[in-house]
Amino acid sequence: MIRTVRALAVAVACLAFTGLLGASIWTIAGNSTPVNLPQLLSENLERSGVEHPVTAVLLNFRSYDTLLEIGVLVIAGIAGISMAKTASLEDPEVRTSDSLLYALQRWFVPLMLVLAGYLLWAGSDRPGGAFQAGAVLAATGVLMRLGGVPMEFLRPGLLLRIGLALGFTVFLLVAVASAIGGDAFLAYPPGMTKILIVVIESVLTLSIAMVLLALFVSAPVNDAEDPEEGSSS
Amino acid sequence: MTLWLMAGLLFTPLAWAVLTLLTDFTRGRLVTWGGILVQVLVSLGLWLVVSRDGGFYYALGGWQAPLGIELRVDGLAVTFVLLTAVVASACGFHAGVYIDPDKPWHRYFWPLFWFLWSGLNAVWLGGDLFNLYVGLELISLSAVGLVALGGKAGALRASLRYLLAALLGSLAYLLGVALIYGQFGTLSIAGIVFWLEEHPVPAGSSLALALMVAGLALKTALFPLHRWLPPAHGIAKSPVSALLSALVVKASFYIAARLWLELGEPLGNLAAAQLVGLLGSAAVVWGSWLACRQMELKQVVAYSSVAQIGYLFLLFPLTYSVSESVSLQAQQGITLQVISHALAKAAMFLAAGNLVLSTGSRRVDALTGVSRFLPFSLFSFALAGVSLMSLPPSGGFAAKWLLLQASLGSGQWWWVLVLLVGGLLSAVYVFRICRASFLESPETNQFYHPHRSLEIIPMILALLSLGLGLVSAEVLSVMALPFEEEGSP
Repeated sequence: MIRTVRALAVAVACLAFTGLLGASIWTIAGNSTPVNLPQLLSENLERSGVEHPVTAVLLNFRSYDTLLEIGVLVIAGIAGISMAKTASLEDPEVRTSDSLLYALQRWFVPLMLVLAGYLLWAGSDRPGGAFQAGAVLAATGVLMRLGGVPMEFLRPGLLLRIGLALGFTVFLLVAVASAIGGDAFLAYPPGMTKILIVVIESVLTLSIAMVLLALFVSAPVNDAEDPEEGSSS
Repeated sequence: MTLWLMAGLLFTPLAWAVLTLLTDFTRGRLVTWGGILVQVLVSLGLWLVVSRDGGFYYALGGWQAPLGIELRVDGLAVTFVLLTAVVASACGFHAGVYIDPDKPWHRYFWPLFWFLWSGLNAVWLGGDLFNLYVGLELISLSAVGLVALGGKAGALRASLRYLLAALLGSLAYLLGVALIYGQFGTLSIAGIVFWLEEHPVPAGSSLALALMVAGLALKTALFPLHRWLPPAHGIAKSPVSALLSALVVKASFYIAARLWLELGEPLGNLAAAQLVGLLGSAAVVWGSWLACRQMELKQVVAYSSVAQIGYLFLLFPLTYSVSESVSLQAQQGITLQVISHALAKAAMFLAAGNLVLSTGSRRVDALTGVSRFLPFSLFSFALAGVSLMSLPPSGGFAAKWLLLQASLGSGQWWWVLVLLVGGLLSAVYVFRICRASFLESPETNQFYHPHRSLEIIPMILALLSLGLGLVSAEVLSVMALPFEEEGSP
């Protein structure tokens, strides 16, 4: 009885909130905004070094946000591997010997690698870029792991940590180097914008894939001997 | 010069996060000490620059707002940057000795510590709604990682709860940011304020402010959304608890306060302001009451944080539709409360960590006899308690005095009752710990003596918090500095 009342109350609250939000969005949608950012963006697009507005915002106009967001991903990776219980993440017990998966893998893995490369390249003038390419690359890794392909580099060792931090480090170095040239931070030197953005996007793809894959493989393994298990919180 | 100070402030924590990620705990500690030195010098330098020349806007990447991101470097921001440098370096030094270097997962302490620091600096300086969100995410995720470090079941349970609460708060904030962007077409706070000065308030934008403040209140653990805080702060390692209580909850409050002070007058209303103040008061009373009843030492300190956070939310009613001078008094009082609570609570958690290390138990009744063996740590704990009880000359006293005057000056006498009850209850829980440690028992003579430096650090912080009341006029004068208006969008 109490449970039903509570569920009902939650449902009413959710409906009321959705209604309020909907009404608010309806009012907002009618007004025109005082600042027209899309127009401002297209006026400055040619100075940004890339043709696609999303990439221009992510890696030039608001590159500080992107730098910190990559930091957030690195933190997630660190938090994930800090909880890994096994020394080697290549656990033979998780291996499958599914012949169908094995056959699919031979087709899919090269295809997905090419797709990741294409997405990275496409980012300069149409939807795409490091985040999407990294996600596809990580998915390739997940598929390889499910199929039992050994991935020794994913042991929580120095190589993995360098991989996690690589994209972030290169981004940071570019940010600081631009200040040594005399400009503000994260201001790319004129003429080098395009090449620098491509370099950053490429290493970011690797690191983003590494973070996602590390999170997948290093999920905490349940250990039976933990003394605190069972005690109520 | 300013360019390099900003670089040092924003980029060295990030660089040190990467450097310490590649080393183990012991070498990471050496690297961290170097980084702490840089950060303290840079923070001090920036504080001096601002106290000499006044605040300024700093455009990142050479792109002005609203297209790019501008940082707002003013007196309040640099004061908090300096406060962060003091508290974080104290916690860093303490952690270097306190944390066991032989456990392999402790190597990840340093990178998370540095990411947390960079997130805090990003929030203090942020002038862009979305950039503030990214800063909050940096802080929340590294704080969750620090709580979960080691991955024991209890720590995982507490940190997962923390993560879910923090994510829900972030999402509510982000929804508010999206509504604001839809309404005004810009993310720069200064730009929105500039526009609102000359135009009528558009309909439907109050919900955005309400959502943002509600999300931030959840992240600050305002009553009744405080349930995630005590488990997380109680189970983390003591230097981590100190960082969480002293700085992390203040970051989300800082954003809420900035939003309220800039947008509260046009977008808020009286009922909402009084409601937030009421919840803050409930937090003061209920948190202090629960702190008196806890069986574990660190839980007492954690519930005391819930109570002390409650005072901060009195800012909302005390600055809404009151005279200029009352509003200024309230802002100054809250600022002093943030600083003194940060120093006192960090001191308290670090001292509590020493006591737990010494007795080998988390329980309050295990403290029996510890006063003879660890008088120095106990003394730091009690000194920090003096600031929480807001006795003169502590920073807590100066803060409560200003709040008292602001309450009376605006005719809202009911907040005075909260200040009095809160002070009394905090005396109860501090004295309860002292009483437990002064009891003598013949069978408990086995105490572990922590390293001497572990005892000195909380003492320094407690003395700073105590002495804050004496220099409060100087501290507040930096915040009142004129702001250079060129470069503002």
